[in-house]
Amino acid sequence: MVAPSTSSPTPAVQVQGVSKVFNPGKSNQVEALDNVDLAIDPGEFVTLIGPSGCGKSTLLRLIASLTDTTAGSIQVNGKGAEQARLDQDYGMAFQKAGLFDWRTVAKNIELPLELMGWKSADRKSRALEMLELVQLAGFGDHHPAELSGGMQQRVAIARALSFEPSLLLMDEPFGALDEMTREHVQDELLRIWQDTKTTVVFVTHSVPEAVYLSTRVVVMSPRPGQISSMIDVDLGGRTEFTRDDPNFHTAVTEVRKALRAVGA
Amino acid sequence: MARLIDLASRPTAAPVLVGLGILAVWEGLLRVVSPDGFVLPPPTEIAAAFVENFDAIWTGATITGYVIVSGLIVGALLAVGAALLVNRFRIAHEAITPLAVAISAVPIIALAPIFNNWFGLTSARSKQFIVILLVFFPIFINTVKGLGLADPSKIELMRSYAATKSRITREVRIPTALPLFFTAMKVSSSLAVIGAIVAEYFGGRQDALGPMITQAAGLTRYADAWAAVLAGTLIGTILYVATVLIENAVMPWHSSVRTTDGR
Repeated sequence: MVAPSTSSPTPAVQVQGVSKVFNPGKSNQVEALDNVDLAIDPGEFVTLIGPSGCGKSTLLRLIASLTDTTAGSIQVNGKGAEQARLDQDYGMAFQKAGLFDWRTVAKNIELPLELMGWKSADRKSRALEMLELVQLAGFGDHHPAELSGGMQQRVAIARALSFEPSLLLMDEPFGALDEMTREHVQDELLRIWQDTKTTVVFVTHSVPEAVYLSTRVVVMSPRPGQISSMIDVDLGGRTEFTRDDPNFHTAVTEVRKALRAVGA
Repeated sequence: MARLIDLASRPTAAPVLVGLGILAVWEGLLRVVSPDGFVLPPPTEIAAAFVENFDAIWTGATITGYVIVSGLIVGALLAVGAALLVNRFRIAHEAITPLAVAISAVPIIALAPIFNNWFGLTSARSKQFIVILLVFFPIFINTVKGLGLADPSKIELMRSYAATKSRITREVRIPTALPLFFTAMKVSSSLAVIGAIVAEYFGGRQDALGPMITQAAGLTRYADAWAAVLAGTLIGTILYVATVLIENAVMPWHSSVRTTDGR
């Protein structure tokens, strides 16, 4: 079902035979992932979806090297996941915006740049650019507590993208937003994705969100977590009419069926 | 009248009015019940004694104030240092935490006569030591708790940027711990005043606030004793206000700070 990529360059993410067991050998042992293979090409927008316990967040955190694999290997941009983390090859955004209350909005966006040793003037001009990108120009000196949830999440995206990583890892970033805000931020993310040619790996539990955003939906099944099917989504450029497009609904139905097959 | 209402609507006005009211009732009641002012002198007499003995009180306040402020600062530095170690290293946690709990269980003020023997009766050291031990535990335990409250997703985010552990402490853990640290500082500033004055009861320079109170009370010059107590109260109040000012300056983002200045 996966479209065979012609003239395949180095994959952005290469997951091979990856298993993850939590608390191995103990009574509360959990097989979170079992023998997962996944290759993601540069520029793809891949969504991981599945019922809770299917290991989609675990897979994302393994790619981010925030936790270690039990078996198998993960390559990011052709190098080991940990090396990619140390080289800051990816940006990350979580369900909670996770902004630092004690920093202004601009200083939040500058945080990864500070850690990379950027000069102050460069950081400031980049923060201004990023604020423009997420349409929050003029909010740089505000504190996060003064922003709405949707605005905070856009700041988190700006922060994740500030150093132009080639890979963006997002763990249910819009899960806490109301429907209106959510659709707005989705469009914003797609626009940024197209502008920056970033590869995105996106975890969600919303079928319409997965279909609307992705070029490919990866459906996962629980106990143990495995990839049960992959569905390519080809809806062309998204517009305000996309959500009413019959092809959109067909794709949504297809993903729903795949999820039902895994008992979701 | 309108001006009075306007005055009363200010946030600082209410406590001032209540305070003045209490003083007025105190004064009026004593004039009726106990005109000799033997047990409890009326506020006007205390104020008069304060003015009359101002030079002696000022000297006492500088001596005792030095013990309070230096003890509080040293105690806070030690407590924060220990808290950072405990948060960072498991071995430090296992070594320091039980010790800190044990120290907190000791009736520290009861050690004052012993410390006087250790450090010499007239030395400020013995009193400083009492203050340091008194303030250490509340600041230590609150700072440890605050450092541990750091949001795990913020720590993961920092790890995703390949941040070092000490960088994570600086960027995430310390800012998270600040509100609890300042709460502990407020509690500790009054503990420091109590500790210093009571420690002075057990000996030391006779011109400090503690001996001033015991001597005046021994001679039944209660107004003078109360005037010295007032000086201790003022030191405690100044420390409290200073802590709040520093807190507001260090944490402009903190929501409780924002609500108090009316936004």
